[in-house]
Amino acid sequence: MTPNLSAITGIGSVSPYGPLAGFIPRCPVEPSAITAWSTVGLRRAFLVKPFRPVSIVPGLKTRRLDRLSAWALVASSLAIQDAGIDLSQLDRSRVAVVFATGFGCVELTEAFYQSAAANGWSGTDPSTFSETLANAPASHVSLFHDLRGPNITVGSKGFAGESALIQAASMLRHGQADLAIVLAGDTLTRAVYEWYEAADLLSPACYNSEPLPEGGGFVPSEGVAALVLEPAGRREVRSYADFRSGRWAAGGQPVEIVRQMLGGSVPSITVCTTNGAPCATTPITAVAREIAGHSAAIVPPQAVPAGLADTSALLHLILALSSRPNSGQMLLLGTCGDGGFAALLLELP
Amino acid sequence: MTDIQKTIVVTGVGVVSPYGIGLDCLQTGMLSGKCCLTPTKDLYPGFDGTTAQVCGLPLLAEGSGSRYSRTDKLAVVAAQDAVADFDCGSVGFWESGVVMASTVAGLTEIDPEIAQDPAAWYRRGGLSRAASYPVAHVADAVGEHLGIRGPRCAVSVACASGAMAIALAANMLLDGAAPIILAGGSDALCPFTLGGFNSLQALDSSPCRPFDQNRKGLNLGEGSAVLMLETLAGAVARNANVLAVLRGWAMTNDAFHPTAPQQQGNGLAVCMCLSMEMAEVSSDEIGYVNAHGTGTPLNDIAEASAYETAFRGRTRPVPVSSTKSYFGHCLGAAGALEAVITIAAVRCGALFPTLRLTDPIESPGVDWLREEVRRQPLPLAMTVSAGFGGSNTALIFGSVRS
Repeated sequence: MTPNLSAITGIGSVSPYGPLAGFIPRCPVEPSAITAWSTVGLRRAFLVKPFRPVSIVPGLKTRRLDRLSAWALVASSLAIQDAGIDLSQLDRSRVAVVFATGFGCVELTEAFYQSAAANGWSGTDPSTFSETLANAPASHVSLFHDLRGPNITVGSKGFAGESALIQAASMLRHGQADLAIVLAGDTLTRAVYEWYEAADLLSPACYNSEPLPEGGGFVPSEGVAALVLEPAGRREVRSYADFRSGRWAAGGQPVEIVRQMLGGSVPSITVCTTNGAPCATTPITAVAREIAGHSAAIVPPQAVPAGLADTSALLHLILALSSRPNSGQMLLLGTCGDGGFAALLLELP
Repeated sequence: MTDIQKTIVVTGVGVVSPYGIGLDCLQTGMLSGKCCLTPTKDLYPGFDGTTAQVCGLPLLAEGSGSRYSRTDKLAVVAAQDAVADFDCGSVGFWESGVVMASTVAGLTEIDPEIAQDPAAWYRRGGLSRAASYPVAHVADAVGEHLGIRGPRCAVSVACASGAMAIALAANMLLDGAAPIILAGGSDALCPFTLGGFNSLQALDSSPCRPFDQNRKGLNLGEGSAVLMLETLAGAVARNANVLAVLRGWAMTNDAFHPTAPQQQGNGLAVCMCLSMEMAEVSSDEIGYVNAHGTGTPLNDIAEASAYETAFRGRTRPVPVSSTKSYFGHCLGAAGALEAVITIAAVRCGALFPTLRLTDPIESPGVDWLREEVRRQPLPLAMTVSAGFGGSNTALIFGSVRS
């Protein structure tokens, strides 16, 4: 057992690729036309196709929940299933849930505002209010699976997903939990989409059915990615990757700090997450090249997870693992704003 | 022997509360028994009840990124207060981290029209206001305003958020994520939360009466508190004034109901026990508990049960009070504000009573503090927080000598 390493033993996701346990098969996904609200002309995004959560996870009741909560329930269940974990055999007071989100339960928040607009603030809908809280998805995951360890919801501009993974690994390291379900995601609503649009952050590909152009804005996305994290070597199970260490900061010298974190080693693959799709000032691949060297394998950001902005890291990680990279070290790298960065170092089996 | 690399200490405290700006203001107000809860009418649309507001916030130069919400402003002023005695030009200060909790965040800036025609609302000036909506914006506002660029993180775990931000910051310090972390919580009053709690019929129209048999609900307040946390090694190295030691922290979840606490308070009891285990102290050594104590029928009975369980076997009943009776429930800021009050209690040996507690819940293991401030040496005290979604957090603070 290596106490300071955490192993990723389960993967689940609800994304434009569909609800999936384990790897995401290689298949191109195109943005789809938005039909959930009326638009003037074509508007496109990477959307999660509607599905019935109960058809994936028997017993789930999601009718009154924000889609973010419903997807968190499905993604966590798929990750637990993928990890081969029988929760009844675990001490569930030792299982943590760490959830990362940029916007939280924005769908029901908008519904709550609708009820205020329609009925005044004294006539708002009580059943909606508690489901607007950003921690509702994580709470539902704990409630459904009876997980009584720490339950945390975090946000971080550009790096919410990375932050969640780092915090979860930290809790395992400090003995505050024996296992953690780490989730990251967001939903796309009209208010979010039109905010991106008003801020002039969207790619031309949002407005026509041409192939995705290079650079120049992004295509918004939605979904929730989930990982099961446990101390490496605790069980005789497959590990997708072992999490070694992570750093993130709002500014500074990313190249210097990440090199220090690597301790002289060179990652065999660097996966760029470009969390800052809407706000990065330096091309992420250039930063990655400077850190990893000219001969290193560098995977540029993927359009679908990049559309998740703050919470893209876990889906980027799952896609990278799904491409079955060779053994060695994997660096997951994101940049945001002026010198902001997040770097996760993983050991591939 | 104390491992100074693994001991987390508080070296700065910043507060914005309905008493004003600063710990002295808060402490003086509470020691005098002043209640800040007042009738609120015509200030928030559709709301006629009791709240505690912060008045006279100073004007702030806003960051380059986006406009500050009222929640951001409260947080920035509290953070400035926390570092007031610190040389912010010193080497390494810019590497400091920020962990800020909030539940409301930029909801203070959003109008219901956003849900009807977002694009039109953005055109009418909503675009920059909406930028402060993400909960992460509070931490960004603090970091940006102080010019610090370490890791920034937001915590949003309903009413346990503020305490949990402190617990997570402590974990981050143990991991060496930053040399100093500013951790706390901030929330402002706004129609969204007033309307929401009103719709749940969780509000008392009069000043709340936590732990009283005749309690009717909670009052909402606003404010922010920020602790400057670092390892004892770091504090010693820069010859810092250590205000208190964070001896233990723990987090659990009830996994019981989306809004209601588990009636026996099992999750909260486990949380308190885990924090005492971490602090390596017995339940007899805890001299005071600053309760979550919202004043709602369900919370207070569950919490009383939790104290019976966590402090079972103690030689004397555990002294408990709810300081929400002074300025209401500040949601995401509550846990941080109550951490500051707990530190103040330890530092000045003053156990604050619950106001308006005339007929306490029957709970033989609990010594309900009421009427007068109790003066006694207080080496160790605990503060507990709980929230919608079943999250619980317990923090134990000790005097420097402890």
